[in-house]
Amino acid sequence: MNCEVCQLKELELEHFEMREVLRCILHTIVFHRALGLVRPKDVDMELFDITYVQCGEVELEKKIDEKIEQFVCWVEKHPNKKSQICLSFYEVKNKQASWFSNKVERLYWEQWYINLNVSQHPKAHSVKSHHSKVVDPGEGALEDRTVRSAALEASLRDVLFQIIKFVNEKKDHVPPIPNIEGPVSFPYEITIPSSSDSAFGMDMLKRMLQTGHPTMLS
Amino acid sequence: MTHKAMTSSHGNAHSEGAKMEQIITEFFAKSLHIILESRALFMSSRNSLGDQVVSSPSSSSSSTSSVRPRDKWFNLALRECPAALENIDLWRQSNLEPIVIDVVLVQRPVDWDPASFSPKRVISRSSSMKERYPFSLNSNQEELGIETKSENIIERWVLQYESRKTRDSNSNSRRSSNISLHTLYKKSTLLLRSLYSTVRLLPAHKIFRELNSSAQIHPFTLVHRVSSFVEPFTRKQETKMLKFGFTPVDTASGRLCLSVMYLPSASDVSSEPTTPMSPQVINDYVGSPLADPLRRFPLTPVTGLQSYGSPSSLPFSRRHSWSYDHFRTSPPSITCSPSPTYSESQTSVSTANSRHFPPASLPPHPTDLSLIQKKNTGFGECYPSPSYSMYNSGSLPSRTLLRTESAPVRILASEVANSPAYPNKHYLPPSPPLRGSRCASKTDRCMSMQTSATAEKLFSLGKDESRKYSGVKTSANSSPQISFSRSTSRSYQDDFDDPDFSCPFDIDDDDMTDPGSRAESFDHGHLADAVEAGGYFPIRKSHDASVGVLVHLLKKAPPLRQDLSTSENLSQGLHPQILKNNIEEPNQIPEAPMPVSMMSSGLIATRKTTADALEEFHSYREIKNLLLTRGSKNQM
Repeated sequence: MNCEVCQLKELELEHFEMREVLRCILHTIVFHRALGLVRPKDVDMELFDITYVQCGEVELEKKIDEKIEQFVCWVEKHPNKKSQICLSFYEVKNKQASWFSNKVERLYWEQWYINLNVSQHPKAHSVKSHHSKVVDPGEGALEDRTVRSAALEASLRDVLFQIIKFVNEKKDHVPPIPNIEGPVSFPYEITIPSSSDSAFGMDMLKRMLQTGHPTMLS
Repeated sequence: MTHKAMTSSHGNAHSEGAKMEQIITEFFAKSLHIILESRALFMSSRNSLGDQVVSSPSSSSSSTSSVRPRDKWFNLALRECPAALENIDLWRQSNLEPIVIDVVLVQRPVDWDPASFSPKRVISRSSSMKERYPFSLNSNQEELGIETKSENIIERWVLQYESRKTRDSNSNSRRSSNISLHTLYKKSTLLLRSLYSTVRLLPAHKIFRELNSSAQIHPFTLVHRVSSFVEPFTRKQETKMLKFGFTPVDTASGRLCLSVMYLPSASDVSSEPTTPMSPQVINDYVGSPLADPLRRFPLTPVTGLQSYGSPSSLPFSRRHSWSYDHFRTSPPSITCSPSPTYSESQTSVSTANSRHFPPASLPPHPTDLSLIQKKNTGFGECYPSPSYSMYNSGSLPSRTLLRTESAPVRILASEVANSPAYPNKHYLPPSPPLRGSRCASKTDRCMSMQTSATAEKLFSLGKDESRKYSGVKTSANSSPQISFSRSTSRSYQDDFDDPDFSCPFDIDDDDMTDPGSRAESFDHGHLADAVEAGGYFPIRKSHDASVGVLVHLLKKAPPLRQDLSTSENLSQGLHPQILKNNIEEPNQIPEAPMPVSMMSSGLIATRKTTADALEEFHSYREIKNLLLTRGSKNQM
């Protein structure tokens, strides 16, 4: 089975925007792949004028939030680094035990890479200006922020459209809808850069080697 | 779910085809539901009275989280959306016709100088918004002064099934098509998922949210029209719009296509004029008991019929903004049937008209008056106090009933036969606007259907004769019908205004005698059914007859112009006696008394509205032409 890969447009954002943006993107993707009976839930973002859709499943929400927290932690430890989150969908195939898998094989049929560029500067700057620049708390800064935020909103919208387009164009690789309860029809995993300093690619390799690693697989 | 089994049940191939068709049908339904769910405004207020009380078995109340059969389709559970259900009911009767949904931003500029009204803001048609959507503007009555509305189509969804003409491929690869049923289902499920999120990403959703979330009154509103044909954009409009085409889903015999054109700047437009509104007025407005019903207005227009079909014809409704109430009352899904029979009869009506009617006939309004009159009479019989309001509230349930998924299909021919006399026409007038869901031509067909029974009755036109015209869809597109419905509702009001008309008329028993013609029409039966549900039995009496006469009169309209020069002349021409004779002679149908009374009452009205009538007739002609062109285009 071929595995389709979608590299989402990189988003430049600030630290405080990470959580909401990631939530929006992850939920949007999962919603498109939740082919079980779903009762969609609209979510109006707080930071942006965007409504996205969730499947309305608590488990899923929890898992996504968990992963996001881990990611935020990672970003805090690794400032000024481009980072990537990968959301993959797979099918489980029972297989003979082999040297790297425990009887169960995951056949990945789709991977979404969310690319973020988290900048710390604006935040640092604003904190600084608060303390030192008495004269000019910054109309300019405020304006900057508004402009930047609008730009991010637009890019986020673009990313969401990118998801929709991808979903539209690639339908053949999606496995048949399994007959299961609950909206989330396919197993998935969210991969974040590991807490180690190794590169993300390295993580992926590691993940392949040590299946079931707690920090990488959910 | 309503199973749309158009294919006969011979063998597997057919049942497969039927399944596929069902998937396609449900795909349409779901798509429409998804779109309207987040574009149709009254969703939030729909919990108010009537709606749920009488909700039909298939559409359980929105509060329940249980899984309805409808939800299982494509594994997507949606919120209740009456507007969508209404439209789908109507659409189901068509043969996989395309669905075009226009989402229109209607603005009521405050302090907007009409003279400087920029054509840019008005959509292709130049008549004012109010004329086109008499029912969409809640505040018509309150703010008669403000005439300037502008409307912008901010989204156009086009949903269609492109079938491959060559069916051979289908039969050759029966097996492969079998396999693809699953694929089809999966792919349409996927498509619907992305539709669901797309609808929320487009700028129009922002407007929708704004309108839906706050109780505040905005100087703009959203209105949607559902039809089955595309009214082309002007070049100017088109350049401003972006298009997003969903990847079509292939089926064994064609493909499902869905696309949207949208105005990227729509949300900006909406946010501009928010401030100027005076909060005081608004508060009162919202607080008032009327607020809820009024709020539905925007929805009602769901029916784009008028907008599409008749740019110029609205003077009526405008003058009588009241009539919207009437519309609201009536069941929206009045069922128009696509069957050619109806249009046929329509044609026959006109033919009959030209044969039997002398040139000097009445303008539409007067007739209506008498019509109404009759209506009231019937009504009064059963209800001690035939007050308008009572009527209004009473019929609400029926509307709800009709709207439900499968209700329309439940027509009992036998029932119709048993109770042939129900002039379902009563509900007719309201239908066109509500039925925006229908394309204009469809509505017309429906209208013609309505008239068919009457025509047959009045003129004893053999079915054979009328059959000649069968299949001529466009023939149904003549304007008189539209005017008829509109004027009827209008006159209803007039009737109430005019004390002279309060005396009861005899009920036309003759209506009862001619079940055959009606029984054959499925829609008719449906109507009767619906009416019954609403408890409006009595109203129907003699409606057929009155409608028939009305149609005649309308048909006769052109001569009116000549007579117009002298009102003297006109009134002479209108002499009841003459009319009576004319009607009676050819048919030997004992309906004379009714027409006569109509005529006489009509006389009075005529005098006051002759000039109007002339105008109206002109516009009817325009509409007719418009519809004809469009209809023929559409049916290609």
